[in-house]
Amino acid sequence: MDCAQFEEIVHELDRPGTQGLAVRDAALIHAEACDRCAQLMTEAESLDFSFQLLGTCDIDLEAPPRVEAAVLQAFRRHKIDSSRKSIPWRLAALGAAAAVLLAVGLLLRHDANPIHSAGSPLQTALSQAAFPAAAPGSSAAETDQNQNEDSEYETAYVSLPGASDPATLEGGAIVRVVLSRSALLSLGLPVTDAGAGDRIPADLVLSEDGAPQAIRLVSQRNNNE
Amino acid sequence: MAEAMELTDDGLVRRMIAGDEEAFSLLYRRRHPAIYRFALHMSGNTAVAEDVTQEVFMALVRDTKRFDPSRGTLGGFLYGIARNHLRKRWEQDRRLVALIDDDVDSPPSNGNVHHYGNRTSGNGFHANGNAQDNGNGHHPASLSRDEFASLETISRVRQAIATLPENYREVVVLCELEELSYEEAASALDCPVGTIRSRLHRARALLVEKLREAQPVRRASAVGE
Repeated sequence: MDCAQFEEIVHELDRPGTQGLAVRDAALIHAEACDRCAQLMTEAESLDFSFQLLGTCDIDLEAPPRVEAAVLQAFRRHKIDSSRKSIPWRLAALGAAAAVLLAVGLLLRHDANPIHSAGSPLQTALSQAAFPAAAPGSSAAETDQNQNEDSEYETAYVSLPGASDPATLEGGAIVRVVLSRSALLSLGLPVTDAGAGDRIPADLVLSEDGAPQAIRLVSQRNNNE
Repeated sequence: MAEAMELTDDGLVRRMIAGDEEAFSLLYRRRHPAIYRFALHMSGNTAVAEDVTQEVFMALVRDTKRFDPSRGTLGGFLYGIARNHLRKRWEQDRRLVALIDDDVDSPPSNGNVHHYGNRTSGNGFHANGNAQDNGNGHHPASLSRDEFASLETISRVRQAIATLPENYREVVVLCELEELSYEEAASALDCPVGTIRSRLHRARALLVEKLREAQPVRRASAVGE
């Protein structure tokens, strides 16, 4: 170790975790051989001793109790202010949550109403029967969805002679029947398919008392389609 | 309370954020002496040290969430706030013009200590090396020669530290008097560890020079006795 290196580390010979402490032995050997560096080391040690004295002298220094009282008061005031400030936010959050719940409720109700108002497939069938001209294709598609019968297609419902007013009907059922071509023709249904067999499946709408109200033809889709 | 005593600073801060006054009180008692001593050594004035200590903890109350444990210790965070407050005060004070300069015998300084460090008028440290308001000083007449010599040494070192430039003084206070590691001081002063090391090295060299200069005066006065 030379004098320049010694000067570099002389102030941290006793400081944990520093370069000076790591080379302390080499520094002491150098100081024994160099009067100038020995003098520097003595001064550094004196300074350390003075710092220790000063540190010990000041160890009990602390702010007077009035400072603690003031900061504790500030803490309490801040706590109250914070809780006051948070009340409008809490109310706003509650209001927002209530609005969301209301919106969700209305949406669910809106979705649920058509089920009740549109009614069952029976009601659909009866309304179709009342207005046979109304888009048979789309009605058939809706019925498809309701009955989940993807493998078949149907005509629109046709009101049967002697059927009641659909608006006055309550209850009832739709039954799948198989009728002869001649029977269907006698009911006025357009059974013109040349490939159709003698017995044709159909959906028959019955009122609550079992009287037939409307009918539609059903045909199985060709598996090759 | 015993449970709270075992908590780390970070744990106490979390409880403080949740509004726990006991946690804040414990945090204050644990941390304020070091902040007070730092402010006192930096300003040389007990009133300023009290104000700064109070401001530091008020700032902690107001902006607790600014403390990020991943960026450093709470101690470093508090020292940083104290340092900023001291600088603000010095900036404000530089704009003032002293009407009566009753500190003409005080050593030359960087302009900061001159305003606050009136060590003979009772605003700062007594000649025996203790701060005025804490009542733990002894009358010099009751001291042995060795004790008096120690107190004289303390007083001289204290005075020498007070005359250091601010950036050297804060490193001496943190690393030598508060015994922070280079890393902790670097975190508190928001600068690289190498800067702390070089500043401390330079500050110690300056202090040795100042104390060496003071020695012949004492020896001369001793010869004259």
